Amino acid sequence: MNISTPIPVSAEPAIRLTDVDLKLGTGAARVHILKKVSLQIGQGEAIALIGPSGSGKSTLLMVMAGLERADTGSVRVAGQELTKLSEDQLAIFRGNAVGIVFQSFHLIPTMTAIENVAVPLELTGRADAFERAKRELEGVGLGERIHHYPAQLSGGEQQRVALARALAPEPSIIFADEPTGNLDEKTGKEIMDLLFSKQAEKGATLVVVTHDLNLGNRCDRLIRMRSGEAQADSAKART
Amino acid sequence: MSAVTANGVSSSRFGVSLKIALRELRGGVRGFGVFLACLAIGVTAIAGVGSFARALSDGMLREGSRILGGDIAFSLIHRQASAAEMEFFRSKGAVSEIGTMRAMARATSGAATLVELKAVDGAYPLTGAFQLEPNVALPKALLRVGNRFGAVVEQTLLLRLGVTPGTEIRIGDATFLITGTIASEPDRVGAGVGFGPRLIVSQEALQATGLVLPGSLVRWSYRVRMNDSSDSALRATQAQARELFPNAGWEVRTRSSASPRLEQNVRRLAEFLTLVGLTALLVGGVGVANAVMHYLERKRADIATFKAVGASGGTVFSIYLAEIGMIALVGIALGLAAGTALPFLVTSLFGKLIPLPLAPGIHLGVIALATAFGILVALAFALWPLGRAHDVPVSALFRDTVEERKSWPRRRYVLMVVLAVVSLATLALLVAESRRIALIYIVAAAAIFLVLRFLAWGLMTIAAKLPRPRSTALRLALANIHRPGALTPSVVLSLGLGLALLVTLTLIDGNLRRQLTQSLPKSAPSFFFVDIPSSDVERFNAFIKQHGGNGDLSEVPMLRGRILRVKDVPADQVKVLDPEQAWVLQSDRGITFTDALPEGSALVAGEWWPKDYSGQPLVSFEKRAADGLGLKVGDKVSVNVLGRTIEAQIANLRTVEWESLGINFVMLFSPNTFRGAPHTILATLTYPNGSSQKTEIELQRLVAGEFPAVTTVRVKEALETINALVADIAIAVRGASSVTLIASILVLAGALAAGHHNRVYDAVILKTLGATRRRLLLAYGAEYAILGLATAIFATAAGAVAAWFVVENVMNFRFQFEPAAASLAALTAVVLTVVLGLIGTWRALGQKPAPVLRNL
Repeated sequence: MNISTPIPVSAEPAIRLTDVDLKLGTGAARVHILKKVSLQIGQGEAIALIGPSGSGKSTLLMVMAGLERADTGSVRVAGQELTKLSEDQLAIFRGNAVGIVFQSFHLIPTMTAIENVAVPLELTGRADAFERAKRELEGVGLGERIHHYPAQLSGGEQQRVALARALAPEPSIIFADEPTGNLDEKTGKEIMDLLFSKQAEKGATLVVVTHDLNLGNRCDRLIRMRSGEAQADSAKART
Repeated sequence: MSAVTANGVSSSRFGVSLKIALRELRGGVRGFGVFLACLAIGVTAIAGVGSFARALSDGMLREGSRILGGDIAFSLIHRQASAAEMEFFRSKGAVSEIGTMRAMARATSGAATLVELKAVDGAYPLTGAFQLEPNVALPKALLRVGNRFGAVVEQTLLLRLGVTPGTEIRIGDATFLITGTIASEPDRVGAGVGFGPRLIVSQEALQATGLVLPGSLVRWSYRVRMNDSSDSALRATQAQARELFPNAGWEVRTRSSASPRLEQNVRRLAEFLTLVGLTALLVGGVGVANAVMHYLERKRADIATFKAVGASGGTVFSIYLAEIGMIALVGIALGLAAGTALPFLVTSLFGKLIPLPLAPGIHLGVIALATAFGILVALAFALWPLGRAHDVPVSALFRDTVEERKSWPRRRYVLMVVLAVVSLATLALLVAESRRIALIYIVAAAAIFLVLRFLAWGLMTIAAKLPRPRSTALRLALANIHRPGALTPSVVLSLGLGLALLVTLTLIDGNLRRQLTQSLPKSAPSFFFVDIPSSDVERFNAFIKQHGGNGDLSEVPMLRGRILRVKDVPADQVKVLDPEQAWVLQSDRGITFTDALPEGSALVAGEWWPKDYSGQPLVSFEKRAADGLGLKVGDKVSVNVLGRTIEAQIANLRTVEWESLGINFVMLFSPNTFRGAPHTILATLTYPNGSSQKTEIELQRLVAGEFPAVTTVRVKEALETINALVADIAIAVRGASSVTLIASILVLAGALAAGHHNRVYDAVILKTLGATRRRLLLAYGAEYAILGLATAIFATAAGAVAAWFVVENVMNFRFQFEPAAASLAALTAVVLTVVLGLIGTWRALGQKPAPVLRNL
């Protein structure tokens, strides 16, 4: 896929944010995190959100993933207006439509790798949750370690489990928040290769928050965040 | 070991640790709420009970002469003091003669009731003030007007007979006019529990009743207000009385032991309540351990940092020991303040309602004991996690805690824990009134701790080994039960201890009530008839045959006697082997004579005397009493009966089924011992097919009318009196045990709250992955329900075993498991765990994922 590859055309973009505004904190500590952010991300696109610390990129990702509520504006993701959903409806939406990968992996320490991966499948009522979880773990190269607990796995392996967990329900959108932040360079690259190949394989939309410009350059587009505003929206070729 | 400070002066490691500890505490004591509350509550209970008991004993001492009715009192049964004895009393000071007995009071309507009759002379009361309603002087109220004597009564009597002041009633052959009701009787406390309401008349009136016959059960008491009221004069008088009248057979009390039985009962209750308080403290100890463990977990990075900059494991231990110690002292001080203030508070708020003399004060002994218990419990529970802090590796700064396996602390810390536990047990034993009960308590507490610890371990092992359920909710629940740092041990311990105690007390209470009410054996009599003149027996039998329906009447001669010597040792110098049996020597006992072994008795040693035995007096002794006094067949006892001293040889020992309520006595004599002696008859009337209250009251009325001298005790009514007393005691017990329950709930809530951090993490991740609140609620609910249910089952079983032991071995009656009461307690425990757990989790469920994820 390169820049000339047309973005899949469909009736609606995968993500459409209109005038999204968000302040966090209270009193003097109240900070204007997102300022009238509007953007569109097409289905199947790979987008990098880059910017300095505190620019609001992670918060923007959380808003798109339905983990944070915008104060005003419209957040339309995978055909759903998230601002209109209740807490539980948002949970169901996440379970069905999105997969999220975190910098700190966020696995449940009391569950084995396969159980961690099976959780979102079970939550959506998939009878074959464990079979699929197993396949997904094999897909990320952890077929031999499915019964290990997170504490028994290396950082890279834990992130693979987290990736398998995000991919298992076959979401239409994958969000990744600094997915290589806690990993060494080599492992980080392996994880990103895996992430991009899986995204391509499944035709999902990918939104990655990163400090790493090299990683950003592998995406279809870069969205730069600065002081809560989405600035340039530049198309880049994948390397 | 020493450290070198900046200015080069060496100071002890403890000094440095203390300084660092104080600096650390500047950060506040967040997370120590439950810790403080647990120690404070337990110490409050122990200090409160101790202060109350002391307030009561001090009050009794202060008011001793009022309670006793003089500085010294001599009491005799069956007979009045001789002229020589009277002269002796008078030589010491002012004397007041009081006669007391049980009698039947009859209204003109025919209604009759048992009364505690007290005949006073003009000198009464020698101490304290007697108050009547209306406010007239007592002698005036008791005056004879025409053929009617004045009588003053307790309010209850008016209700029972359906009469009012100004009404006429009859007792024996005399007629009385109720001239007032008793507002305050100064020596009431010393009189103990009565089976009927008090009725006071003059000595002259008592004689006029015709109830005072040779052998009738009248107690004569001679109170002396000494001219020289010093303690030494009091002791001298006692010694002189013993010397001048060695065979008087009287019971002597002084103002310093005005009511030994009440004092003993208070001491026993206080001891029991102290154990309950100690249980609260032990349950609180679990909270202490949890708080220390979680505090140190939060401090792992700090501990690792201390070590990284050169602190040894020992220094780390002493830093945190100092911190925990200081916080513990605050908790203990709070408890001491509350416990000590309690009697003051109660006296000032409810003083008028409490019929006992309370003299609240600050007692260093009580404070020291409660402090010692508080410190030892804090040490016993805090030393283990503190010891583990010794070995927190510096690498904890870089490693995840989940990886670590909890291990035992070093041997020296284990030894410290053992030392604290042993000291705790020793202290409990040392201060116990009854070593046996304290020992049982210690063993039971240790056993329940072990059982619950084992249960927690078992639950975690089973949860880990169970095949993984496919349901996420259940799997999460199971994982939470066995994961490292799971709530299981602390929840099982705190809930289990509280519940085991609750079940134990509930079952003991239930069994006691059943024993007193429902479970009267079919063979139990409905009536005791006391003081039937032996000349009236034939007529009485005929009367009962005519009016008593199909009841079985059985009768025995009855006298009262006091043991003077046991194997030639004066009764007050006998070394009693079993304190439970000391009562046999403490006062006069009912005795009888018979030539046949009574029903409900079984011979266990020696032989029964032949039918027409005529040798030296023989006595049959009840086995437990004999064992308690160190008596065996062949030994001799001297008993004073009717002013005569009888020396009898123990011919045999019997076991007695006291609970059958049939006629039975500690001592049965061979008939030749009392041949020709004046005595009255004690009879029981039993209805094998049961009887109704209506027919019983009617018979009571008829007997009172026909035999005015006979005192009728309706067993069901007497049991109601005892029941009311038990209910009062039960309130005290429940009050004290509710402290334990509060501690238990606090610890449980604390333990559940401690898991909150993990819960929020899980909840947020699961919500991120699509879990709804309902689903999470189910998972957590399942976890709490499994924990609660398993603990409830074991704690109920443990409580039932403890209750069984106490009922069968300490209280000596048959135990019956009460499934309803036990299930209710167990159900409460499950509901409590689930509700408390879910309350704590509710916040976790409500957490918005983003802020948490941002901070993870």
